[in-house]
Amino acid sequence: MSSVKQSAIWDLQLRQLLLTKLGQEASECEDFLAADPQTCRFAVADGATEAFDARSWAERLALRWVQRESTLTLEEFRQWVAAEGRELQDSWNGLKLSWYSEEKARAGSFAAFVGVELDLNFDLPSWKAIALGDACMLHCRRGTLIKGLPLSRSESFNTAPILVASDSSLHESSMTSVVIDSGSCESGDVLLLMSDAVASWYLQRLENGSAENLFDSKCDEELKRFFDDERLAGRIRNDDLAIIRIEIRERSIS
Amino acid sequence: MYSAQITRANPTCIILLIDQSGSMADPFSGDSARKKSDFVAEVVNHTLHDLVIRCTKTEEVRNYYHVSVIGYGRTVGSCFSGPLSARHIVPIAEVADYPLQVKSSYKRVSDGAGGWVEIPVRYPVWIHPSSDGKTPMCEALGKVKEILERWLMEHPRGFPPTVLHLTDGESSDGDPNDIGQQIMSLRTDDGAVLLFNCHISTRRSAKIEYPTEEITLADGFARSLFGISSKLPSNFLAAAAQLGVNAVEGSRGFVFNGDPSSIVQFYEIGTSLTGMTPYRWMDAADRTEQA
Repeated sequence: MSSVKQSAIWDLQLRQLLLTKLGQEASECEDFLAADPQTCRFAVADGATEAFDARSWAERLALRWVQRESTLTLEEFRQWVAAEGRELQDSWNGLKLSWYSEEKARAGSFAAFVGVELDLNFDLPSWKAIALGDACMLHCRRGTLIKGLPLSRSESFNTAPILVASDSSLHESSMTSVVIDSGSCESGDVLLLMSDAVASWYLQRLENGSAENLFDSKCDEELKRFFDDERLAGRIRNDDLAIIRIEIRERSIS
Repeated sequence: MYSAQITRANPTCIILLIDQSGSMADPFSGDSARKKSDFVAEVVNHTLHDLVIRCTKTEEVRNYYHVSVIGYGRTVGSCFSGPLSARHIVPIAEVADYPLQVKSSYKRVSDGAGGWVEIPVRYPVWIHPSSDGKTPMCEALGKVKEILERWLMEHPRGFPPTVLHLTDGESSDGDPNDIGQQIMSLRTDDGAVLLFNCHISTRRSAKIEYPTEEITLADGFARSLFGISSKLPSNFLAAAAQLGVNAVEGSRGFVFNGDPSSIVQFYEIGTSLTGMTPYRWMDAADRTEQA
């Protein structure tokens, strides 16, 4: 956990967890998270398992989005994704590929993405977020969901979400599914950015009223063991897990 | 049941069992130009292509599936030839590496701005059409059982094997019920082997797709195949729904008097496994063969 002084009034407490699907090597993880506490931008991207070079695409989306300014309107997002997609696909030129890799590359790469930017410069902190796919941002207050995007119910997850495509010819239809939202926070509020498997599971816990204190009571190693056990027991689908937890706290005046 | 994750450590097995009897050289009703055997070979090659693509991770094919293509007609045995010749079951990565040939074609796709562009695609071929001899269905199902028994000894856990059986006629070597039941009684810890049957017809007859009850079947052979068709697990039903196929809880993996579109859907649903999105069949009209 890290604490970052963000303004005269507000502190952010950050926790990040990235776990590879059980039975796979860390180098095979297709979830990525990125955090820039200075700019207050955070992102999670989840490369589609069946896509070509999904790991690179997820990494690029998460890391580069937090380094940018804005990119919180549909048009900015569309232009940025198109440029990043071109760059990714250009990096495949010159690769000597088998027929099946060539086929796969032709379809481009796909990833779910969610990014949030916090503004702590006012009395009331606020956030703006953008998402496409099934990686989620959940705004929670005292164990209750205030807002979730792009999905806010555990039963809303399916096996064929519309994702961020590297091939801009697919953007005409996919970009209509981008979700942009904003909200304001109180001291003690928590923003969670999560990839799909853990987001679906966590929403279910919120729906059952059993999500509170999950992160408070466990150190990183305990949390890792906990999520491994949940996946082994089948309560969380065996998938890569990416979690960024941001707690917003009013600074105590000493 | 039928919920195990398919991984390299716990792969599943898919067996495509194809009738290659002499009558498969006949055309579909209403389409005198197209032999059933030609169409089936094309669909099987596309199915193998889609399975390979699904398992492709950038530059590697992961062995999520072990695949078998068994034909029966004049003889009963593996349809693979070339480097895979006589192999009864082959990990998908080897299937990927050893097509008999890879043809180049073009596919028409949206350009994203309201128009169309043609893009090159690869079109690998593993099996050629064949149609000769009688219909030794019992012997063929016996071969499938033998392959499965051996495979299950090494893979007792994980998603159960799926057998997709396609035929255009009645068995010439007896009632397939007993051997079919024996196959359906084999299992992993995640459920019994799935046996799905698709009967295709030369005659212009009403097709029956994924029925729930035998009572709708007037034909004795149809009832026999219905009896050895597994119920579609829920994840296969979801794939059927995505394809617009009317299959419901309790539907059997069974088609009678199927037409070409029934065959395509049968293979798409039958290989959809664990809720994976079925790959869309590349419409033949969208493809331009290149010399």
